[in-house]
Amino acid sequence: MTSYLSGIGIVLALELRQRVRGVGWYVLLGVFVALVALITVLLWLSLDVSDGLGGFLFSGILFFVLLLGTLVTPALSGNAINGDRDAGTLATTQVTLLRTGQLVLGKFLAAWLTALAFLLVSLPFLGFAVLSGGVPAGTIAVSVLVLAVELGVIAAIGVGLSGILTRPLFSIVVTYLTVAALSIGTLIVFTLAGVATSSEARSTTIDVQFLEEGPDGADTVTCSPPQVTTYTVPRFDYYWGVLAANPYVVLADAAAGQFDSRGEPVDLFSATAVPVRQAQIAPDLDATFDYCSDLRDGGTPAGEQFPTSREVFESTVPTWFVGLAIHVVLGASALLWATARTRTPAARLPRGSRIA
Amino acid sequence: MRGCDRKGRGVGEGIEVVGVSRSFSAVQAVRSVTLTAEPGSITALIGPNGSGKTTLLLMLATLLRPDAGHIRVAGHDPVRQPGEVRARMGWMPDILGSWASLPVRATLEITGRMYRLPRAAARRRAEELLDLVGLTELATQPTRVLSRGQKQRLSLARALVHDPSVLLLDEPASGLDPAARVDLRVLLQRLAQEGRTVLVSSHVLAELDEMATAAVYLDGGVSVSAERIAASRVGLRPWRVRAVAAGPVGPVGPGTGVAGSADAPGSPGSAGSAGSADAPGSAERDTAALADALRAVGVPAERIRTDHLGLLVGVRDEADAAALLTALVTRGVAVSSFAPAFGELEQTFLDLHRGDRT
Repeated sequence: MTSYLSGIGIVLALELRQRVRGVGWYVLLGVFVALVALITVLLWLSLDVSDGLGGFLFSGILFFVLLLGTLVTPALSGNAINGDRDAGTLATTQVTLLRTGQLVLGKFLAAWLTALAFLLVSLPFLGFAVLSGGVPAGTIAVSVLVLAVELGVIAAIGVGLSGILTRPLFSIVVTYLTVAALSIGTLIVFTLAGVATSSEARSTTIDVQFLEEGPDGADTVTCSPPQVTTYTVPRFDYYWGVLAANPYVVLADAAAGQFDSRGEPVDLFSATAVPVRQAQIAPDLDATFDYCSDLRDGGTPAGEQFPTSREVFESTVPTWFVGLAIHVVLGASALLWATARTRTPAARLPRGSRIA
Repeated sequence: MRGCDRKGRGVGEGIEVVGVSRSFSAVQAVRSVTLTAEPGSITALIGPNGSGKTTLLLMLATLLRPDAGHIRVAGHDPVRQPGEVRARMGWMPDILGSWASLPVRATLEITGRMYRLPRAAARRRAEELLDLVGLTELATQPTRVLSRGQKQRLSLARALVHDPSVLLLDEPASGLDPAARVDLRVLLQRLAQEGRTVLVSSHVLAELDEMATAAVYLDGGVSVSAERIAASRVGLRPWRVRAVAAGPVGPVGPGTGVAGSADAPGSPGSAGSAGSADAPGSAERDTAALADALRAVGVPAERIRTDHLGLLVGVRDEADAAALLTALVTRGVAVSSFAPAFGELEQTFLDLHRGDRT
């Protein structure tokens, strides 16, 4: 076991050593820090301090790190194995006593750690957000952890695809497409499918027709006949599961749960999670809005009662662990498949590839 | 199946290949190869481009699974016991890949670590190898700055990191300057003397000629049998003759034992070594005089050819050559050089190749 781990360690050290030698890597980190700084300043200026600035600042930065992480990680991981094959360094490591699993895992860990470096350099800004107050420790821990796992998933998909596909450029592009499918594709499917399978809804409205003051001073209320209107509503409640696979939703849903005294979100996690959770609630297809009966029975007219964000959030089920599990399975299968494809002696070779 | 369970290095565990084939979708790269490479020997693997040399080496190096046949490298099966084979086999690929940004020394250290050498041992071994292949001065340079020949030497050092008992070298001499080639030859000879099995593929046949103790010919993915090699030897082979000044042309002497044959001398193609020519006029005169002398000792005219480097004469075998040389010297011809135009391996290679075309 220790020798298996030390083999992974050798590959990890080798990969990291090659990366830190490139100037490009530091330029990238510098640009990243500058962007996070810019976002922090913009959020700072656009938010009112009394709103509980910390929560929005923290969650905003973390979403931004996820965005940049998903943009950078495919490029850093998507050619890990086939790039080595192109450079002629894969076969020379394969004839050593290093096992294929160690090679793939070492490369995965290197890609993951590289992606985590982006989280690391944004820590000062996250720290600043925390110091602004209003960010509970639980939110910090959960969100950072989930973000780290998400970056790992993308690194795993990238390294996996680089072992499955022959051409480095192609595997990088497919990694980007996979990330895009999860981040944007799920949104598109959710929206289009919801609209395409809309239902016909009926709403009945009963209004007050007459309001007379009787001789005894009591009001006599005459209700109008029920007015029925029909319209179509999109059925997002069938498809909310699709959004569970969205990495931004996973992060938001996992870290959400902070609301103010009015039941409104105090960070972007909750603000993102609530509309997604809302989609779980089926629309009322036969609603009756009776503005009259209550009045007639001596009450006051009932206004429409919209639930608060907190109520929506608390009445629905969390989905983040399902999404996260799907992602982890996806990443792990990519790594396993890559290991199987890279194993030597090779039975079959990808078309047009040279093993050396 | 000799040496199956022997763990030690060296003796008795060479390379054994029986009836191995391998195809890539439509292309049958290796059809049927059978060969043996003995410990303590340097075996040359010779064949034209696309004859399956590299594919065969990849199978020996545990990277490629054969479709059929049976392989043992250092006493183990590369398919079923790749780990056992890898621990005993060093492979130098024909593609010169190296971790471009890493220094030369670190490359060897990391390779050593991949062979499970402890850190200190890997460092020590890297120093030894740097010294062995003459890269000590470049030890701290990133490998991307190395020249082709230097990369070649690094690649060789990498193959030797774990002190393997079997060495597979794919075109090790390409890109090396003459001095480095001599170094390589001396090194490989030393490694073989230590009891290792060395299998070398190369196009530089003259190079192999000087060190190989055995040869395996591949043609169209098939290893050429000993009978076919023997059969290819029946023709005449060109020998290059040079004389300082031909002796006086006398009357045609008695038969010299040179077998009369109508065969033309083998096609010389390009000669192996460049001769230093005198003034063109005198050289031509010398060549013409030498040709006369050859005819005078009974060599049929059709077996004498001249090219830009001088004169070639077709002889049947070593005895035939010795008789011809004796005859020339006896006649008083001042022979300065009398040698096969091509090395043994090159000649066999050409003979086999010519046999294919007819």
